[in-house]
Amino acid sequence: MSNIYQPHLMTIKNVIQEAPDIKTFHLVFQDDKVAENFSFETGQFAEYSAFGYGESTFCIASSPTRMDHLECCFRATGKNTNALAALSEGDTIGLRGPYGNRFPIEEWEGKDLLFIGGGIALPPLRSVIWNVMDLREQDGRYGHISIVYGARTQNDLVYKREIQMWDEMDNTTMVKTVDPGGDGPDWDGHVGFVPHVLEKDFAPKPDNTIAIVCGPPIMIKFTFEALERLGFKQEQMITTLENRMKCGLGKCGRCNIGSTYVCIDGPVFKAEQLAALPQEF
Amino acid sequence: MKTATIQKSDLGKAIDLLVQADLRVVAPRLQPTLDGPDDIDILMFQEMKSGEGHQIGEGILTHNGIKEFLFAKHEPLFAYELKGKKVEITPVHHEYPRTVILGVRPCEAASIPSLEAVFSNANAGFEDPFFTKRLERTTFVTYSCTDADASCFCTSVDIQPDDSTNSDLHFTELGDGSIHVEAKTQAGEAVASILEPLFTGEGDQAKREKMGKVAVEKITRLRDKAPIRAWLDENANFDDEMWQRLGEKCLGCGACTFECPTCHCFDIVDENKGTKGYRVKFWDSCQFDHFTLHASGHNPRDWQYKRYRNRFMCKFKIYEETFEAQGCIGCGRCIRGCPVNLDITEYMAEVAHKAANPAAMQADPDFE
Repeated sequence: MSNIYQPHLMTIKNVIQEAPDIKTFHLVFQDDKVAENFSFETGQFAEYSAFGYGESTFCIASSPTRMDHLECCFRATGKNTNALAALSEGDTIGLRGPYGNRFPIEEWEGKDLLFIGGGIALPPLRSVIWNVMDLREQDGRYGHISIVYGARTQNDLVYKREIQMWDEMDNTTMVKTVDPGGDGPDWDGHVGFVPHVLEKDFAPKPDNTIAIVCGPPIMIKFTFEALERLGFKQEQMITTLENRMKCGLGKCGRCNIGSTYVCIDGPVFKAEQLAALPQEF
Repeated sequence: MKTATIQKSDLGKAIDLLVQADLRVVAPRLQPTLDGPDDIDILMFQEMKSGEGHQIGEGILTHNGIKEFLFAKHEPLFAYELKGKKVEITPVHHEYPRTVILGVRPCEAASIPSLEAVFSNANAGFEDPFFTKRLERTTFVTYSCTDADASCFCTSVDIQPDDSTNSDLHFTELGDGSIHVEAKTQAGEAVASILEPLFTGEGDQAKREKMGKVAVEKITRLRDKAPIRAWLDENANFDDEMWQRLGEKCLGCGACTFECPTCHCFDIVDENKGTKGYRVKFWDSCQFDHFTLHASGHNPRDWQYKRYRNRFMCKFKIYEETFEAQGCIGCGRCIRGCPVNLDITEYMAEVAHKAANPAAMQADPDFE
């Protein structure tokens, strides 16, 4: 019988300092057999461990269309994330997963896509952004892609070089913003909170568009409200949630919102599913 | 299997026989908790090396549940060793001795399928191998209640004091010093065959049925479970004033969750000495303030009453909806163990009242 709590061992191939306290790891499996059999879908998450410190839950931030390595992106906040952040290239970490559901990207074919993220919530979107961009490049199955992304300050933006790439990409709009006071003299983006910039400055049309939102609970709430004022319907809005988790397996009893376990039933939820939940997230 | 009788005075010998058959035997026994003149002996399920001092059939319930013999309080999941840039993982050797638990009350036995629903692969295909191996190797000998105390409320959650639904082997006292024995499973029959030398005759089904009902009338805490689920299903009631009013006194100590036979929450941490360590799973409680605290500082259950609301909903909705199993089994341990007399049946009564009188509740905000 296999041990569901035992992680795979992975080597850190590359470390990128994205922002103060925020790092990206490029990860490869140490066991070739595991590497061969491992697959995941966009939107799924995993448990990452610095041995001796514990486990933390992050999404898989890379796209399943790019299986050369896996990526995660995290902020050093607690015991385990600080221990992870202290590791460097060549070090070993543990990974359990993939867990949870995925973004229903086949339902979005033929549509325009609007991604809206705040702060450290871009990594979950980045997996699906590259996933749909790679598929669009192959056969044009998605239309225009817009990305609205904001952080507290210029420095706190993650994936800065990719923001630049998306900005220059055809059939793609990149809208970046920082909170008031977060802009320096060289800032060339918007200033304002994400929901406000989305509604007042960018004001996208809802026609044939799916909006994919990720951020802290308060941002999700205000962004959904802004989208509704822009004419988006519930079925055009989707998000990914993260609650504190330990097992990721529906057993440790932590991540539930009412009877809905984020680890099993989520992390991806449509707006109408979210509206039907008790408001405790 | 045919039924049999065994004398209550022979239960110590029954334990001896099972121990001699190389089984690990767990049964209720008194355990002193303090030294000195204020000794309080409490009834605990303990591993027995012989029949001496057992308390099978005495008292109402043990202080601890049988949960800890299936879902360990503290359990290493694997060992690791840091070797420079590499890490080596090795499995931990666990013993899974064949175990017989004697004297399990019917309410508590109802928690076995509930825990199984969480930890077996019936739950999203993820099987906790430690739990399922222990369950597989454990035989439950249940014991009808013929008495009840003020905290018992099994009949309010559809369990009878003589229920043998979740038994391998079931005992019911007949009132004359003898016990009616009935095997319900093959594992139960195997235990019965070990005890056979102690059997004094055939069982008495008619008398057993009669004695099985004796406790029903002694249960005074009667609540109506029927309207609770539908009321909890109504999202508007999630913000009902009741949650804060009744939950205000909760200290968040978690005693109810540790004593509850169906509470299953756990934490996973690393425990080290130098470069070697174990990843360990151990009991946690949804009543603790850090339980759902996010790294960002956001906490979805930021007030104690919300944490108790989650506990109540887990027992009467989440267990049913998510795990298709029974949450509250009416044993009353959470009532006996609460330092501030928070009472789950008070919530039950209030929900039933609100469900029956929705308009009256709005008109009378001072309802207590």
